[in-house]
Amino acid sequence: MSCLPTVWSVFYSTSRMVVINPNTSIGKIVVKGTMAEANKLITEIFSPFQDYINAEQDLREEIRTIMKEIEKPLREIVITLQIIHSEVDCEKIHVALLRSRERFEEVRKGYEALNKVVPAGQYYRYNDHWRYGTQRLCFLASLIVFLEKGVLIDRITTAQILGVHEKENIHLDLEDYLMGLLNLASELARFAINSVTLGDYSRPLQISKFVAELNAGFRLLNLKNDSLRKRFDVLKYDVKKIEEVVYDLSIRGLIGGSSNQTAPNTVEEDMG
Amino acid sequence: MSRNKARNKPRKNKTYVGEQAKEALCSLDEDSPVIQAFRSFSFELDDKHDRYERIVKLNRDITIESKRIIFLLHSTQVDFEAKKIAILEEADSRLKSLCQNNFKAIALELRSHDPYLYHRAFTSGLQEFIEALCFYQFTKNECFDNWKIINGNFQYTDDTEASYSLLFSQCDFVLGIADFTGELMRKCINNLGIGNISECFKICNFVKSINTGFLGLIHAGNKEISRKVYTLRQSLNKMELVCYNIQIRGSEIPKHMLLNVLDSHDIENNEDEGFCM
Repeated sequence: MSCLPTVWSVFYSTSRMVVINPNTSIGKIVVKGTMAEANKLITEIFSPFQDYINAEQDLREEIRTIMKEIEKPLREIVITLQIIHSEVDCEKIHVALLRSRERFEEVRKGYEALNKVVPAGQYYRYNDHWRYGTQRLCFLASLIVFLEKGVLIDRITTAQILGVHEKENIHLDLEDYLMGLLNLASELARFAINSVTLGDYSRPLQISKFVAELNAGFRLLNLKNDSLRKRFDVLKYDVKKIEEVVYDLSIRGLIGGSSNQTAPNTVEEDMG
Repeated sequence: MSRNKARNKPRKNKTYVGEQAKEALCSLDEDSPVIQAFRSFSFELDDKHDRYERIVKLNRDITIESKRIIFLLHSTQVDFEAKKIAILEEADSRLKSLCQNNFKAIALELRSHDPYLYHRAFTSGLQEFIEALCFYQFTKNECFDNWKIINGNFQYTDDTEASYSLLFSQCDFVLGIADFTGELMRKCINNLGIGNISECFKICNFVKSINTGFLGLIHAGNKEISRKVYTLRQSLNKMELVCYNIQIRGSEIPKHMLLNVLDSHDIENNEDEGFCM
């Protein structure tokens, strides 16, 4: 510290020093200016922004309430359809399917309400709230159609079952629909195993064909490195699981007819 | 080694698994409704991804140009008045060109699409642009326009007089303002470096006002805002310390030495008020 004065004195001589007297009015003016400026900024910029946030929050709250109404039947349908893993009786499954179809009526009502609150052209702004639920419902719809007719549900049918078909402000997002189909493949893998346990040996073959076609379809898509892609990567394990079941059945001759012939060949190839 | 083992394990099963899938793939009817449907899905997904990528590209150009404009504006403080005006004019024309070219291109891409689906692709460029625009307006007029006026820049009409616009959310606006305070901090320190003391106080007070605005916000769960407000507060702390030092030591030290007094250590560490040489 002692050397400071000498260092400074050099600069004093250049007379480029600043003289700010704490007693001058600079401080006061500044404070006054700040308040006026802050007020102006708040009324011009921040208040409108706060209104904007509030409006958005209110709408999100409304959507959340509607989603609760949709998720209730969703849960019930999930539970109802679990019967396929423990029952082969066609009658019982049929009843479960009918009951699920009825529950979808509530889902459609929910989406109708959603259609009314979502502002036009802002589907993807609030999309987070219903994306997961919609994917699950797509899965359930596809499972129902598979159990009923053994075919892959198409997009329009899915939208109709969910009640989002040809609505003004909401629609069925393609990726949600595809996610639903991938969920279906996982469920069918489990279904194949449980069908065998319950003595239904023909079901795994049907599932195998169905999922193979689904797999072929998904291979046509150029997926980005997003959630759909990650979910798609699981599909091959589902395919594998189902094929193992079919394989187990075929080497034991539990699949009637021509498949008995091909099975031993496959085994021989494996050994080689 | 153990990792290799784990990798080899599934290969054992692989020989028979997959045969069926292969068979199924070969025997698949190319014209089956499922395949047909997936072909159209593929087209739709590609269209979406391509559009997204195109917007990302435009976004990148906007970000770079905005950063350059900000850099240009930083050079206003050292020059004569005439040169300052020239720089401001250049910045203005470059900002306008961004609006009329790059942002217009994005708006065109998004015409008849839900802009929120692609919002993530251009939000960063938009914020950077707001930062540059605010900086320009502040340098020129010491204030900046509100959302409504700026939003007017993103309204376009095509040849047939049909109008369309780019989504400019209030959120992007406010986030841009938060970024803009970082530039103000830099400008404040630069001003100190050239001994332009009154400017330092002015800028510091302006940021104080912005900070007050942010303090009054109740932003439920917007992470990005909280993150930027944190940075804003740090910038403000630095500036407040600068002003404090000017006030308390200004009369002792020559102008151009002030910056040395506020070396980085002093600025970053608030507790260390004393300085030794």
